[in-house]
Amino acid sequence: MKSSTSKNKVSQVKVTGYSLTLLLACGLFFCGCLSIQAKPKVYIKKLKHQHYQLIVSGKPYIIKGVCYSPIPIGQNHEYDWWNDPNKPWLADGKLMQQMGVNTVRIYQPGENPEAVKRVIRDLYNNYGIRVILGHWLGFWEYPCPFYGDKRFQDKIKKEVLEMVNLYKDEPGLLFWILGNENNYSCMGTVNPWSSEEIDKEPDPQKQKIMRAKTYYSYVNELAKEIHQVDPQHPVALGNGELVGLDIANQVCPDIDLVACIIYRGKTFGNLFNSLKATFNRPVVLSEFGADSYNAYLMKEDQNMQAFFLESQCRQIYENLATSREGAGSCLGGIIFEWTDELWKHNPSDPQGWSVHDTEAGWSSGSYYFDIQAPKNMNMNEEWFGIVALSPELENGINKRIPKKAYYVIREFWKNPLTKVKGKKAKWTYSK
Amino acid sequence: MKKLSIIAVAGLCVIALVGFVFAQTATKVAGELKSFGVYTDKRSPDNHYIPSGWMGDNASADAQGTTGDIFLDDQSMDNPHSGTTCIKFVYTAKRTKGLGWSGVYWQNPANNWGSKKGGFDLTGMAKLTFWARGAKGGEVIQKFIVGGIKSTYPDSASVEMGPVELTDTWKQYTINLAGKDLSYISGGFGWVTTADLNPNGATFYIDDIKFEADPTMKPETKKQENIPFYIYTDKSSINNHFTPSGWMGDYDDLKQSDFASTEDPYLGDSCIKIIYSGKATNGARWAGIYWQNPANNWGTIDAGYDLSKATKLTFWARGSKGGERIEEFKIGGIMGEYSDSDTAGIGPVILNKEWTQYTIDLKGKDMSYIIGGFCWATNVDVNPEGATFYLDEIKYE
Repeated sequence: MKSSTSKNKVSQVKVTGYSLTLLLACGLFFCGCLSIQAKPKVYIKKLKHQHYQLIVSGKPYIIKGVCYSPIPIGQNHEYDWWNDPNKPWLADGKLMQQMGVNTVRIYQPGENPEAVKRVIRDLYNNYGIRVILGHWLGFWEYPCPFYGDKRFQDKIKKEVLEMVNLYKDEPGLLFWILGNENNYSCMGTVNPWSSEEIDKEPDPQKQKIMRAKTYYSYVNELAKEIHQVDPQHPVALGNGELVGLDIANQVCPDIDLVACIIYRGKTFGNLFNSLKATFNRPVVLSEFGADSYNAYLMKEDQNMQAFFLESQCRQIYENLATSREGAGSCLGGIIFEWTDELWKHNPSDPQGWSVHDTEAGWSSGSYYFDIQAPKNMNMNEEWFGIVALSPELENGINKRIPKKAYYVIREFWKNPLTKVKGKKAKWTYSK
Repeated sequence: MKKLSIIAVAGLCVIALVGFVFAQTATKVAGELKSFGVYTDKRSPDNHYIPSGWMGDNASADAQGTTGDIFLDDQSMDNPHSGTTCIKFVYTAKRTKGLGWSGVYWQNPANNWGSKKGGFDLTGMAKLTFWARGAKGGEVIQKFIVGGIKSTYPDSASVEMGPVELTDTWKQYTINLAGKDLSYISGGFGWVTTADLNPNGATFYIDDIKFEADPTMKPETKKQENIPFYIYTDKSSINNHFTPSGWMGDYDDLKQSDFASTEDPYLGDSCIKIIYSGKATNGARWAGIYWQNPANNWGTIDAGYDLSKATKLTFWARGSKGGERIEEFKIGGIMGEYSDSDTAGIGPVILNKEWTQYTIDLKGKDMSYIIGGFCWATNVDVNPEGATFYLDEIKYE
């Protein structure tokens, strides 16, 4: 008995111990569930050493994106492709999926919310491709974006919050980007604007700083309000290069990441380290790439485009959170762009919208293979697509013809080694 | 962006077919050879290049300097380093053609500026050595050169060393070629100097110029430059670095500029006077100048300096009237196959009539590879009458 009693006691103790353990485990599980549920659908995880990782549905997510604006041959940017009955995004989504693209960036949604939702859902449900939605913040409004004007601010804010409310619950939504290269307007180089207060300042350097503070403060205000409406998705500050980010750093506590537009040829240079010194947030390359027209040889040059893109993609991978040697602050990149756009060289000339124009629109020594073109004009805006458009129709849309860069990047993403036996480049340029 | 080449080896050619080197063959000399002569003695069979490439104020001149600033005696018996002769140069610094610089290239074949096949395949050679001395000591050679000839049949490498201040006794100098592609070298050796560096001219001697196979030579790594590192201190200072060769936009609007102005310099005997006419002569409506290394390097040449120790760039500036507006002063930012590692700048700046010091903050910048040492740019919209302004004491600190 004694022993039996003792045994029973031991047994009771064990039972009690099991119960406690079970209770504890259940409690922990419950807390864990609560904890998981408390995480947003999409968020940025801060790791050691100021490394950052984008987490989507609980898993790390590397942005392998393309800028998406499927304007057909013969149309311009005003074309409402969202309502195209031939649904070009279905053919594109399939090709993107085959390449390994997991994200598209759209600069601003169309006017018909149902059409926009259909595109987002089609891309996500059929191909697992998520959408980054942006807003121009009135950058292209005539006469210029008055970021110091309260009425202008209110108008844009209303548009932005409407966009957020309409699409925040779409499962395929990745995050928001506010603005594109709007910071250049603060420097007075593109779409310059001012205000009475700024005009009173005689020092032009101080004027630039005042404009930048006004603009970035406003964007931060938008980000703050978006977070209140939609706590599930990060908000990115769109920025041309790193210009002005030292000012943004003073007034943008509510910005989650920076989306930089960078065209620096084969390398991003000191971009990632510079960011750490000026605006220490995670970064996505929201536009990068190269054109496929050699303005010096005056012929299409897909090898040249592939060379630059492969080098750029490699640098992105070298600076992801998982990279040992890089900055660890890069969340991925978005290639500019998916398809060529034939309207871009002269947007106001309908005759030109059907012509693949070979006249360069700007100059960049970073793209050095054709910098010796006349007047150093070597950047061909209509040739940035990694997929060419054929005049031939296929299922009602211009037939898609992937360029060499499509295949080169597809292979890179399959096996994104940043260094191969001490040699960095996997792909070399040859004529 | 339009670019105007003005200084140094501009006389070589203006067409650089970068990245598209034509297939070419040269006489292969490597193998068992331990050395390969450029100049040994006047009648030596080991001389393989000819000092035929006369540049700058000496372009089109003959060896006697009939129409130029240089006189050459390639059989001088005035104390040769070895053998019976050496080469004597007399540089008069008279600016015969108004350029203020001169130089000589040793070419193969003679007078070959890259328009015809020639040269040698020097693969296996690791350095070029030569002996030099000044007649008095103190003569300054802006740079010694190996390769660098461009045009249709470009040299496969371009290496420079300098500036070099000569002593009055023979001294050997070495240009490191380890790791360089020497498969086609038609410009075997050369030198360039300026009147600013030698206001009273210079007489100097060179001897025993040769390529050598030296297995101990290692490829040169860029060393971190010490601070302060000057871009401009005075017109004839050996401490000046970078060349104001990158003339941009309406470059003809800058023709009257003077890089050795004596009009009230901030320090020393000279400063830079920029005269921007604002006439938009070339149709750009803006203008600017980059200080580059080497001259005219728009990112096509692997060169530049490691200025990692610098935390700022400072310079002094003043306007002739006050109120002149410079849109930007900056460092770095040249993009090409060999891009600057970073960029930083200030502006717009409205200049005072009095000398004022300006600073470009470089903290957090990657200064490990800088080919564009300094730059300014402005435009006619903010200077409708043009602008005259002065710069001095430009330096990294």
